[in-house]
Amino acid sequence: MERLAKAAIERGLALGASYVDARVERIASETLVVRNDRLNEVSAREEFGLAVRALVGGAFGFAAAPLSVEDAGAARALAERAVALARVLAPARTRPVELSEEPAAVGEYRTPVAIDPFALRDAEKLEPLRAACAELGKRPEVSVREASFACRSRVQWFASSEGAAFHQELVRTGGGIAATATAGGEVATRSWPASFGGDHQPGGFERVLEFDLLGHAPRVREEAVELCAAPPCEAGSRDLILASNLLMLVIHETVGHATELDRALGCEADLAGHSFATVDKRGSLLYGSPWVELVADSLAPGGLDTRGIDDEGVRSQRWPLVHAGRFVDFQSSREWAFALEAKKSHGGARAQSWYHPPIVRITNVSLEPGAWDLDALIADTADGIVCDGVKMWSIDEARRNFQFTAELGWELRGGKRVRLVRTPTFTGDTLEFWRACDAVCDASHFRMWGVTNCGKGNPIQEAEMSHGASPARFRRVRFLAG
Amino acid sequence: MTLFSREEALALAREIVAKSPAAETEVTVESTVDRFVRYAHVGPTQSADRERVDVAIRVRVVRPGGVGEARAEASTLERATLEHTLAHALELAEAGIAPDDLVPLGGPVEVETSRAAPATLAHGFDAKAEAVRRAVARAGEHRLEPAGLYETCATAKALVNSRGREVFGETSRASFSVVASSPTSSGFAETIASDVSALDVDGAIERAVDDALRSRDPRPIEPGTYEVVLAPHAASALLLFFAYEGFSARSFEERTSFLTDRVGDKLVSERFTLFDDARHPQNPGWLFDGEGTPRERLLLFDRGRAQSPVSDRALARLTGGRSTGHALAQPSSQGPVPQNLVVRAGESTLEDLIGRMERGLYVTQLHYVNTIEPHELVLTGVIRHAAWLVEKGKLVAPVAGLRFTDGLVRALADLRGVGARVERAGALFDGEVATPALHLGSLHFTSSTRGA
Repeated sequence: MERLAKAAIERGLALGASYVDARVERIASETLVVRNDRLNEVSAREEFGLAVRALVGGAFGFAAAPLSVEDAGAARALAERAVALARVLAPARTRPVELSEEPAAVGEYRTPVAIDPFALRDAEKLEPLRAACAELGKRPEVSVREASFACRSRVQWFASSEGAAFHQELVRTGGGIAATATAGGEVATRSWPASFGGDHQPGGFERVLEFDLLGHAPRVREEAVELCAAPPCEAGSRDLILASNLLMLVIHETVGHATELDRALGCEADLAGHSFATVDKRGSLLYGSPWVELVADSLAPGGLDTRGIDDEGVRSQRWPLVHAGRFVDFQSSREWAFALEAKKSHGGARAQSWYHPPIVRITNVSLEPGAWDLDALIADTADGIVCDGVKMWSIDEARRNFQFTAELGWELRGGKRVRLVRTPTFTGDTLEFWRACDAVCDASHFRMWGVTNCGKGNPIQEAEMSHGASPARFRRVRFLAG
Repeated sequence: MTLFSREEALALAREIVAKSPAAETEVTVESTVDRFVRYAHVGPTQSADRERVDVAIRVRVVRPGGVGEARAEASTLERATLEHTLAHALELAEAGIAPDDLVPLGGPVEVETSRAAPATLAHGFDAKAEAVRRAVARAGEHRLEPAGLYETCATAKALVNSRGREVFGETSRASFSVVASSPTSSGFAETIASDVSALDVDGAIERAVDDALRSRDPRPIEPGTYEVVLAPHAASALLLFFAYEGFSARSFEERTSFLTDRVGDKLVSERFTLFDDARHPQNPGWLFDGEGTPRERLLLFDRGRAQSPVSDRALARLTGGRSTGHALAQPSSQGPVPQNLVVRAGESTLEDLIGRMERGLYVTQLHYVNTIEPHELVLTGVIRHAAWLVEKGKLVAPVAGLRFTDGLVRALADLRGVGARVERAGALFDGEVATPALHLGSLHFTSSTRGA
C-alpha cells in the first residue's frame, strides 16, 4: 500500500507540485436489520481506492479512483490528474493555500476491538436482534418494530511529500431497537439506546452486547404505546433537563458545527451555512454559563473520531472550545489554520472515504461533567420537562435559532415526575440557551454517543464523531405546543 | 475513465449471474464519472476529478426452513474481488430467512435506454474554473462574498438477474450554484440540468447578486401567521417530504404516512397536482428502479385528491398487484421512494402571485426542514437567504429570517396560486423537485432567527 502512495507522491512532485498527499483506503461495512420479525436487510460493502491531493500554485487538485493493489501506474496517473486540476484552478485563487507547519506523522493506530464484528457468524449477530424485535411486538399497538446492527472498518495508509507515513485501522460497531406505536390517531416512536439506527461506538460486537437490547425492549415498547395516549406537551417557558442522548445532538448542532473554522470564514456558505462564532469573537464571546466546559478531543476513549491522525496527517489532540462559558477556539484543518492564534491545525480535516477530499469536520466534542446527581437535579426542579431521545431537529444557517423535538418528555412539578408528555418541542437561541445552563450532572452519568451521518460539504459528505454529556438543566426554555 | 458502455456493463453483470450458484441472483453494475469545483471568496476551495464503480450482488439461497436473501457490494472490477463479493453474499444469505411471501425476482422487461448528455460527460475543468472566476469577480464588484459549486456527473447502470431481466441506462446531471453574501443579507441561485449546455450560469450569478443587494439591512419581523409566496427552491424543501415520508407504500402499510386511510380524499387544494415522472424533461431520472422494474409515471395528487403510494415488488399488493417501479436497491430496510417529483404548472407569473398578496412574505429558500409529526406532515425549518415583506402586492422591505412550524397538508389545502414557470430545485437533504412558485394562504412562523 505504501508503494502505491509513494508512487503517487513521487509523480506529483516530479510534475511540480509543492505538496502531495495520498490516502489508500480499504473500507468494509455490514448491516443487518430485522423489521417486524422479518430479516429485512442483510448487506455488506467493500471499497478499495486511492485519493491524491496535490498543491500547485496555491491551489489544491484532487483525484480519486478505485484501484488494484499492484497498480502503481494507476496511482501515478491519478497524481497527474490531481496536478493538472490544481494547475487549472490556481489562477482562480484569490488567496493561495498556505498549509500550517506540522510535524510529519509516522506510526500507526488501531481501534481496540474485543469481538471482531466481521469475523463473528451472522447468526450470532442476529440472535439479539431477533429476540429484541419479538419482545417489542408484544403489544398490538406496535405497528413497526425494528432492531438493527451495523459495523464499519476503515483501514488507511496515509503518506505525504513532507514525510508522513501512517497506518490506521478504525472500527466501529453499533445498533439499536425502535418501536413505533399507532393508536388513537397518534404515531409515537421510542428507541434504545438512541434513535435513527441506534448508537455506534468504536470497537467490536462487545458494544452491542453492552446495549442489552432485549433487556430494554419491554420498556421501549410500553413507552411507545403510552406516548400515543399521553397528553401533548403544553406550550410555555419551562426548565429543561436534557438526557445525554439528546443533549449530544444539541452539542453537535450548536457547538460542533458552529466552531468549524471554514464555516466561520465563509467557505461553507453555499450549503450548510456560516457561523455566529466568528474569528473576531474568539476569546471574548460569552457562549454559555460558567458551568459550560466544551472540549474537542480526537483522543477521547469511546469516540467515533478517535484515531491517530486526520486525513492530512495531523496528530489527534484535545483542546477546549468553550472554557468557563467563554468561546476560546475553533476546529480546523491545515489550510485554514492561518486564522488561529497558534497557526496550527487541530487535526480536523477528514473525508468520508477515498472518494472524497478532506474538509474541516467536527471531532468528538463533549460537555464536561459537573457536580449534580440526576435525582437531586430533578428534585431541585419545580416546573420543568425532562426530554429524552431525538425525534427531530432543525437549526438555522448561522447556528443560532434551533428547534428540537424529543421522543419523550417527563413533566416535572415540585421536583417530581408527574406525567409523560408527547412531542415535547423546544426552541431557542444558541447563546441564550447555553447561558441558561445552570447544572450539569456528574461523571457517573457521563456517556459518549456516536454520530454516523453528519452531513457537510458540497457535494455533501458524511462523517462520524461522538459527543459525550451528562444530563444538564437549562432554565426557562420555550416549549411549543406538542 | 469513461462510463461503461451498455455491452461492457451487461457483460460483467451476466458473467457474475452465470457464476452464481444461488437460486436467484441479481447483479447491478454502475460506473460514475464526477468532476466538481467548489468555491468561496478565496476562489476554488475543493475540487475533484474522480470516478467510481459499484457492483452489487443480490442472492437468494434455499436453505432448511426457507429462503435466505442478502446483498454484497464492491467498488472494484477486479474479478478476484468480485468472486469474493459473490461468496460473501452467499454466506450472508445463509444467515437468515427472508419473508414467507417473498416475491420472485422479475422477468424480462422492455425499458428504453436513457443516455447521459455528451456535453455533460465531456465537460472539463477549464470551463468550471472560468465560471468560478466570473462568480467571484461579479460578487466582488459589489463587495459581496461568493460561495458555490459547479459539478458535472454521469452514471451508467446495468441490472441483470437470473430470471432473464436485463436493463441498462445512463443519467447525467450538471449544476451551478452561487450564494452571494453581504454582512446583512444573502442571495442564492442554482441552475440544474441534465445537459450542462442548458445551464444558465451567468443568469444564476446575476440573480444571487441581485437578491443579496436588494435584501440588505432586513427589517425584524414578528413571528405569526403570514400569507406566503414560495419560490421554487423554497417550495421544493417542503414538497420533498412527500417523497421522504408520505408516498412510500412502506409507510402507508405501516400506517405512519399521512395517506393512512385517506387515499382518494381531497386533502389539499384542487390547484395542486403532483406526479412522479422519471421521463419528465425537467426532472429526469432512471427509467428502471433498483429491481429493474420500469418506472411508471404516477399521479400522487390529482387536483388535490390523494392517490395511491408508490411501490416495489414486495409491496406491489398495495398498488393493484403491480410494482410501480420505485424500489431502492434490494434487500433494503427502506421502502420505495418517488424520486422524480413534478408539480403541474399553473398560469400565474411570479409577479402575479406576489401581486395578489395583501400582506405577506415572499420567500426564496427554506433551510433545514425536518418532520415533527408524520400524519399531518408537521414540518419545521427556517427562511434562508432573501425574503421580503409584501404589502398590497409590492415588495416593501427585506425581512430577517423566521422559523416556521406548520402542517404541509394543511398549508397546501389553502393553495391560492401556482406559478407558470417550473424550475428544478433541491434542498439541504437529498432530492429535487420540478416545481413552480406556490402561493399559500398561510404559513405559521413560530420564532425569529437571530445572528443570521
